[in-house]
Amino acid sequence: MFKGVLYIFLFLVIGEIIVYLFNLSIAGNIVGMVAIFIALKFKIIQLKDVKPASDQFIKYMVLFFVPYGVGLMAFYDILKMHWIAIVVGTVLSTILTLYITAIVLQKFGKNE
Amino acid sequence: MSEIYQQPFFGIFITLLAFHWSKIISRKFKFVLFNPVLLSVVSIICFLVIFKIDFEAYNIGGQYLGFLLGPTVVALGVLFYEKYEQIKANIWPFVSAVLIGGTLSIISVSTIALVLGAPEFIIKSIAPKSVTTPIALEISTSIGGVPYITAGIVIAVGIFGNAFGPAILRALGIKDKNAIGAALGTASHGIGTARALDEGKLPGAYGGLAMCINGFLTAIFTPYIINIVFSLFS
Repeated sequence: MFKGVLYIFLFLVIGEIIVYLFNLSIAGNIVGMVAIFIALKFKIIQLKDVKPASDQFIKYMVLFFVPYGVGLMAFYDILKMHWIAIVVGTVLSTILTLYITAIVLQKFGKNE
Repeated sequence: MSEIYQQPFFGIFITLLAFHWSKIISRKFKFVLFNPVLLSVVSIICFLVIFKIDFEAYNIGGQYLGFLLGPTVVALGVLFYEKYEQIKANIWPFVSAVLIGGTLSIISVSTIALVLGAPEFIIKSIAPKSVTTPIALEISTSIGGVPYITAGIVIAVGIFGNAFGPAILRALGIKDKNAIGAALGTASHGIGTARALDEGKLPGAYGGLAMCINGFLTAIFTPYIINIVFSLFS
């Protein structure tokens, strides 16, 4: 478990360093996510070393974004002003995304 | 009394408490709006409004929990690797479907919101609406959106997909259950994937995989897609 936490923070640091060195516009932890994926794929690190820790982070992930959801209250006035654009855009786009993904896979995916 | 609100433990404690109760309630009543995240967020907001506590005071503690999303994004890389190992044989039709759906999600939401007159920071906040929350928050922050707005919209999209996704897809003539699972994971991340699991084990797995792939792709492509949309329409 401890080794896994160490690895996760190591890749977080690696991600931040890469972003700094190459002046990228992507967040450091997303680069870290891609880096740990590559490290696992090329067997640089072992899945069994990192999985106990990563599973715990993912298990409690929803708890970690509750404070961001609460932050919505500070934007009540702005949301009230633009709610039509937000709701219409989000609902139509979600239906479109659902349909297009499903129809592409239904038409071209292999059915086992 | 007000000093208590200014301590980090206050925000942390009421978040843990709200989350604990929300999980109990959502387990008891199998109703979509009783999603643990939604219940936690709504009950904490109600508490803060009733006792006239600012979000800033709550967030003195809340930010410590939010900070843990950083390592959680890296942990998602591990989950993606596990999923990748499961489907690498049959990966291309699947990745293509998710890529097309995920790209259209960003293009359509930003175009519609732009046409309806939403300001730039709102469009940037809602552009990553279909991906899993930790990744969406990072994308939003890095392209100049407001992560708090993103969090609310992403959770709402998840609940919308969970509640109406399968019915909408069936009404539009989709019969393949695996396609329904993949669509739910692509359009409405983890909360939608929970519903895909109701359709069956395999559709649930497809939903999880789709969520992972879309998270990956959206994280990389959103800044470029957003720039193209803005340059086309302004």
